[in-house]
Amino acid sequence: MTESSTDPVDRFLAAARDETEELPFRLTGVMFQYYVVCERELWFLSRDVEIDRDTPAIVRGSDVDDSAYADKRRDVRVDGIIAIDVLDSGAILEVKPSSSMTEPARLQLLFYLWYLDRVTGVEKTGVLAHPTEKRRETVELTPETSAEVESAIRGIRDVVSADSPPPAAEKPVCDSCAYHDFCWSC
Amino acid sequence: MNDNYHVFSDGRIERHDDTVRVITDDGEKKYLPVENAEAIFLHGQIEYNTRFVSFLNQEGVAVHVFGWHDHYAGSIMPKRGQTSGQTLVDQVRAYDDPAHRLELAQAFVDGSIHNMRANVTYYDGRGYDFDDVLAELTEARSSLDRMETVDETMGVEARARKAYYSTFDEILPDEFVFGGRQYDPPNNEVNSLISFGNSLVYANVVSAIRATALDPTVSFLHEPGERRYSLALDIADLFKPLLADRVIFRLVNRGQLTSDDFEDEMNSCLLNEHGRKTYSKAYEETLDETIEHPELGKKVSYQYLLRVEAYKLKKHLLTGEEYVPFQRWW
Ligand code: SF4
Repeated sequence: MTESSTDPVDRFLAAARDETEELPFRLTGVMFQYYVVCERELWFLSRDVEIDRDTPAIVRGSDVDDSAYADKRRDVRVDGIIAIDVLDSGAILEVKPSSSMTEPARLQLLFYLWYLDRVTGVEKTGVLAHPTEKRRETVELTPETSAEVESAIRGIRDVVSADSPPPAAEKPVCDSCAYHDFCWSC
Repeated sequence: MNDNYHVFSDGRIERHDDTVRVITDDGEKKYLPVENAEAIFLHGQIEYNTRFVSFLNQEGVAVHVFGWHDHYAGSIMPKRGQTSGQTLVDQVRAYDDPAHRLELAQAFVDGSIHNMRANVTYYDGRGYDFDDVLAELTEARSSLDRMETVDETMGVEARARKAYYSTFDEILPDEFVFGGRQYDPPNNEVNSLISFGNSLVYANVVSAIRATALDPTVSFLHEPGERRYSLALDIADLFKPLLADRVIFRLVNRGQLTSDDFEDEMNSCLLNEHGRKTYSKAYEETLDETIEHPELGKKVSYQYLLRVEAYKLKKHLLTGEEYVPFQRWW
């Protein structure tokens, strides 16, 4: 490799900061969720494996009613990479579809905060919430959480650049996964 | 869900509000609720227009057209929402790599022979003695991994199928004389039933492939372009014994189909409209039968097995995970 650094995080940042550079690999917020939930699913997603539209529960959590939030929200797109909800308070909102999705949604939110900070130089705080829960969780970028994001980026890159996905391993989410029949038919 | 509609009469088919209407030549109107349909099978002489085609496209319903001699004439497939360049690339790569193509061709034949064997085993011991045929099928199957080309593999398939078909004359009543496979045109009742049944399986596989981003023209056992959707031929072979042949045995042995359901034309014998209806109805019932799927951990219909097969092949091509052909497990 001829690049000065082969670390996926450095390469990603360099490309994200320089519009003329092609990103070394595709990275979207939802990939962080998949990375936590199921790496095999992440690999399928990265290959655009198509899922039949008649399968129920096609996108986990897509039926969460976003309109439940009273706060004024703005949709903001940054560099075509991240699409975030900015609340009136200036905080970035991430909705978690269910309590089992707290960790995946938190990592996705951290990635947004990290991206805003490292690429655009804007410091933000995040809010993790569920429409029916009163309690909201504040999420902040710290050296520890930044390290978490960066290690996830390296992990995601390893998964999506592999020739094959990690083998299937049965877990509770499999039942509602859109790839279920694709994954388990042998 | 995933219903197929068969239209046998001659006439016109059209969009009528949010449904599809058939107006037969004698003025009768029939409505097909197509919201959850998989496909419409047109067996008669039917007129339609672009408005009808756009509507089905929007509803995601395919049309399979059958022409003279019950031959599959072609399909109007709904435009796909997504396509996957990656899948096509992987598919063509596998085709182009002789070792990979051979491995897949052998898998299809291996599964086909297993499924033919399952039918023969069922009748063996129920008053028939098919030991010789069973031995021949076993031998054909085990000879597969010695085959070095797709052509040789095809040869094994042909030999196995010939042995398999030799049981039909014994299984079916004396009134139906078979005497081996004859296609173009079918020369007797049994051949006509096999042709019709196989073309229904084929059309259903075409629909199943559409549920993936696989290209139906890039095949492994059959030569691409041999017919339009040659990948459907590869996959259909696996399912003919389960879907098409069992229906023949059942209907003929129970006297639900008799020689009255056929018409003799010059050098050919074809199902008449009543015969086609009877067969299609029983065939659709078979597609709806369900079976507990050990890997998926749920009951699935036979029709869904076709789609699972397309998934399996796509997964193999995309991930390199082994492709194990459908083999009747019950
Ligand atoms: S079915 Fe299970 S193992 Fe397969 S992709 Fe979905 S979550 Fe992952």
